[in-house]
Amino acid sequence: MAERVAYFNRGAEAVLYRVRILGSDLIVKKRLDKPYRHEAFNKVFKEYRTRVEARILSHLRSLGLNVPAPLIVDVSKGILVLEYVEGTPLSRLVDSMSREERGRVAGEFGRQVAVMHSNRIYHGDLTLANTIYSGGEVYIIDFGLAGYSDDVEEYAIDLHLLYRNLQAMHPGIAEEFMNQFLENYRQWYSGVFEDVRKRFLEVRVRGRYVDRELRKTVMRDRYVS
Amino acid sequence: MPLLYKVPYKIPVDRELVSLGFESTSHTFGVGIVRLRKGFAEVLANVNSQYKPLKGGLHPREAALHHMEKAYPLLKQALREAGLSLSDVSVVSYSMGPGLGPCLRVSASVARFIASYYGKPLVPVNHAVAHIEVGRLFSGLEDPLVIYVSGGNTMIVAARDRGYRVLGETLDIPLGNLLDTFAREVGIAPPYVVDGKHAVDICAEWSQEFIPLPYTVKGSDLSFSGLLTAALQKARGAGKEGLGAVCNSLRETAFNMLVEVAERSLLLTGKKSILLVGGVASNTVLKWKLEKLAETHGIPYYGTPPEVAGDNGLMISYTGLLMYLHGVSVEPEKALVKQRLRLDEGDYPWLRE
Repeated sequence: MAERVAYFNRGAEAVLYRVRILGSDLIVKKRLDKPYRHEAFNKVFKEYRTRVEARILSHLRSLGLNVPAPLIVDVSKGILVLEYVEGTPLSRLVDSMSREERGRVAGEFGRQVAVMHSNRIYHGDLTLANTIYSGGEVYIIDFGLAGYSDDVEEYAIDLHLLYRNLQAMHPGIAEEFMNQFLENYRQWYSGVFEDVRKRFLEVRVRGRYVDRELRKTVMRDRYVS
Repeated sequence: MPLLYKVPYKIPVDRELVSLGFESTSHTFGVGIVRLRKGFAEVLANVNSQYKPLKGGLHPREAALHHMEKAYPLLKQALREAGLSLSDVSVVSYSMGPGLGPCLRVSASVARFIASYYGKPLVPVNHAVAHIEVGRLFSGLEDPLVIYVSGGNTMIVAARDRGYRVLGETLDIPLGNLLDTFAREVGIAPPYVVDGKHAVDICAEWSQEFIPLPYTVKGSDLSFSGLLTAALQKARGAGKEGLGAVCNSLRETAFNMLVEVAERSLLLTGKKSILLVGGVASNTVLKWKLEKLAETHGIPYYGTPPEVAGDNGLMISYTGLLMYLHGVSVEPEKALVKQRLRLDEGDYPWLRE
């Protein structure tokens, strides 16, 4: 049936193949067993993460967000067939973009994440590597660690992961990108932005050996005032 | 036979230097002496003494008393092994943090005294950076993804833009702390380590059974506190076999979490090798899992050997040397300690772009 099958990429937990079927390009994502992982985990992860990803992608798609459409899912084999989105991850582009373009992209990314969170969905591994920049649009991909939650904690963790990723991989533009991201996020998030923002600060000071005064200030905000 | 290692960085000076370093962030007081010669670091001495509590966990004051007692004899022993006297030393360094206040102050006081009495340059060293640098020196790996696991730290680290960037870390307790606390609470420690084997590893051999425990991975960050609580609950009244199953599952779950985030960071950064450092680096099960991970990706893996995996004086003296070579030194009256010192705070000029 497939006219062409080619190895496409390898993620942390899956191998991606680019396949051409009936004239359209598709991505076949196959989650793998890991030699270092206990078999109990292998089964649970493969099935659970495949199921979650398929469910959340179709939900997000129905909300009109830019994600690849899930087409076929085989939970027991850990296989997910997705629409192919032509483009490049933002992680490879942001450092060389013009300031203006980067601002626009960060804002658009912020809007999509805000809409996602407004619909109780968190991503769980929000990084610039998990995006595709395609025809001026930002696509968010890789929802294996995603889930549904009403807890602002999960939304704050998404912001924390993104900020951590920016600081580690793109230190030169981290602040600028995050500010623009949050600027739009604030406008589009339907809940109380201040709650997410406060929790975001809190998650950041949870790391080891964070300055005691900084931690005190942030925590006091939560418990005392 | 002296141990010679090629320094993996460009060295700005040609002359021979001898570096003396003191480690005392936590349970270990250590003295290390390294000689730099023609681009090679020669290990002249690495003598360490660990404070081992008879019961309970580590009391900072008791540990500091141990360090004070050991400081002089260990220094003497190190100098004897190196065949040097203090006047031969070119630079003195100490662990400035992160760590326990009372412990940190011991190495700082000793180093301050020697530096001012003998008029030697004094260098404060970030303990976490020292773990990584000595791992890089021994492994010879160029620009690895670093997994740093110990009693006080659990992080995935990579060098970028003259600094070390934290890609993922624990949001609550570190891995070593998880294992130690569990062992202590269920009554199988202290001693925490017997013949190089952790109490949890010994206990895990009592059973092959696997019971599901909470698995908390958030992107590249980890959380172990829920796992600890759940494991302690399951262990209650479990009997020897049952406890074995909990130990086995606890270790399996915690290590799988770590290896998963390591793999994610590996792909994110595109690094081409893996380096394991810190006290927990001596754990054979974790080593095996990381070897498998490296094998899957067809890249080299290096786990630091036990004598430099745990806290030691050598790593401080070597890192102090690197810092001194790049113009870092402080006046003794400004040589402070910092209990909370993050790895990603500093600028390390020897790291290439």
